[in-house]
Amino acid sequence: MSAPLVLARGLGKAYPKVHRSGDRLRALGRLLLRGEDGDRVSVLQDVDLEIRRGESLGLIGDNGAGKSTLLKLITGVLTPTTGSVAVNGEIGALLELGAGFHPEYTGRDNVVMAAALHGLAGDELRRRLPQIIDFADIGQYIDEPVKHYSSGMVVRLGFAVIAALKPDLLVTDEVLAVGDESFQKKCVKWMKDYLDQGGTLILVSHSMYHVQKLCRQACWLRGGRIEMAGDVFAVTQAYLAYHERKSAALEAPSADVRAGLEFSVTAVSLNGIDGDAPVLLEPSASLCVRAHIRSRDGRVPCLAIGVVRADGTPVYGVSTDMDGIEPQGTGDGAYACELQFADLPLLPGGYTVRVHPLDPEGVRVFDTVERGFVVRGSTREMGLVRLAHRWTCTAPVKSAP
Amino acid sequence: MPAALTLRFFQRELRNRFAGSFSGGLWALFQPLLQLAVYSFVFVHIFKARLPGMDAPGYVPFLMTALWPWTAFAEAILRSTTAIQENAALIGKVALPREVLVLASVATSFAIHLVGFIAIVLILALLGSRIHLAGLAPAVLLYVPLFALAFGLALICAAVQVFVRDLVQIVAQLLPLLMFGAPVFYDRGLLPERFQGWLDLNPFTFYAEAFHAALLGYGDFSFTRLAVAAGIAILILLAGRWVFRRLDPHFEDFL
Repeated sequence: MSAPLVLARGLGKAYPKVHRSGDRLRALGRLLLRGEDGDRVSVLQDVDLEIRRGESLGLIGDNGAGKSTLLKLITGVLTPTTGSVAVNGEIGALLELGAGFHPEYTGRDNVVMAAALHGLAGDELRRRLPQIIDFADIGQYIDEPVKHYSSGMVVRLGFAVIAALKPDLLVTDEVLAVGDESFQKKCVKWMKDYLDQGGTLILVSHSMYHVQKLCRQACWLRGGRIEMAGDVFAVTQAYLAYHERKSAALEAPSADVRAGLEFSVTAVSLNGIDGDAPVLLEPSASLCVRAHIRSRDGRVPCLAIGVVRADGTPVYGVSTDMDGIEPQGTGDGAYACELQFADLPLLPGGYTVRVHPLDPEGVRVFDTVERGFVVRGSTREMGLVRLAHRWTCTAPVKSAP
Repeated sequence: MPAALTLRFFQRELRNRFAGSFSGGLWALFQPLLQLAVYSFVFVHIFKARLPGMDAPGYVPFLMTALWPWTAFAEAILRSTTAIQENAALIGKVALPREVLVLASVATSFAIHLVGFIAIVLILALLGSRIHLAGLAPAVLLYVPLFALAFGLALICAAVQVFVRDLVQIVAQLLPLLMFGAPVFYDRGLLPERFQGWLDLNPFTFYAEAFHAALLGYGDFSFTRLAVAAGIAILILLAGRWVFRRLDPHFEDFL
């Protein structure tokens, strides 16, 4: 096996705390005399990363999780505070908007400069310049100053330079988001070709769609540390589930409010697992939702259970009164009920189970408790559920060339 | 340091200085002429400045031959002090050897003023001043250690400026002091005896006198002093590189 293209060990970055002008002077003195400075705010800690040629890694995480800092450390724009990072190859980086373009100069001048920064000059540059301008496809704007460009045009130009350079490692930071639909497609297509030809990619994106489409590995950064790394589907699903829980926590009514309700949910377990952590399921696994309800005046409640996808799209909902049954009393106004889904046909992704107690008539909803679960797997099927299907009038695929 | 990249930044910087001025590149030639006219008027006709000695050259050639190298030197340091700070946007997004930015800035000042210097020497000769045109080649060679000295100081200033933003104001105040502390506007012989030795503490003194000696045959020139000046230039250059490389990894944190 060849040496990794990117190897980071114990990588960390901390920024100096400078509030007053005197702090800067002191920092300067310490750096010159001792080669280190004082108080620091840590933004990235203990990151171990290994990327081999031909791999593609998606970096995901909340704002401020350290994604951009990590990219800057890899590209050498920043110097690590702790640990080390080594890259064995040419890097092409698109960090933020307009990677180093000077607003006063024309697009053409900036392309020449950007190419020079990547070591491309002379005849080689003259040969590739038309190709770059063609890829950017911004018409006569190429001879206008970059300050008159729209953000999309800046990204087009930046991407065109990188595309012409074909670096060993391509690093992009959330740049696809500003391009228009056709340019995004062009970039994604280019990146796919680049990866097929053995290129290596590190992509930062908030679009799980792009990450899943382009990357085979993913790394989730949280608060400056690696929360989870591995297969892209597992990581992105866990990340989405985390976001689900975060927004659910904001909406959930407090315990005091719920205690005063006529009917309230006291516990929900999925496949026998309590607590807030999302439950991981294999595709086509079965799911058992068990709910405990307290009835204030001892009347028998109805119970509704629903499944929604991480983005809130309803998948299925059913209640006890629809099926003509009622929860079992366990004494002292407490009721319990269990719902079994066998061979869950949900496609991989994050989902939420919602449990609502209703009045005995099945009309008013009193409480809502949500529990997340994740269906694992990496399928390219689309939608929410796998519909039972069968193809007819088909021929087997000829063996790949 | 990658030469191609330095050349690119040099070209950009050169264009930067002349772009926007309506006369463009012509200004580089016009400025020496204008300055020559102003100085001749002020010093010869108003101050009636004269140099001591029977065979002394005219005051204007004396002033011009040292003032031009000084302008290159001073402008190089002042402008490159902010070279890193002004390119903060670039430094934050692209990995590049940052010395290149300082080098390009220093080189631009020297290039512009070297052209102006040669032009003014030729103009003075045409106007009938006693200029030794044979001294032009050694005079141009004097720019080499002067460049090294300026580059070394510029590396220090540019790196420190990132941390202490008032440095550029301080440098702007110190440079005129350095100029008046060197025999640019006056001859060493005009100073009281006990002050004359102090001039040698000024790194530019050697250059001012060497330019006078080369082009006007005025004053002495010794190779020992050239060797000392070159040694100092190399030391300052090495010190500048050390300071710059030491602070370089932390620029991003403070920009």
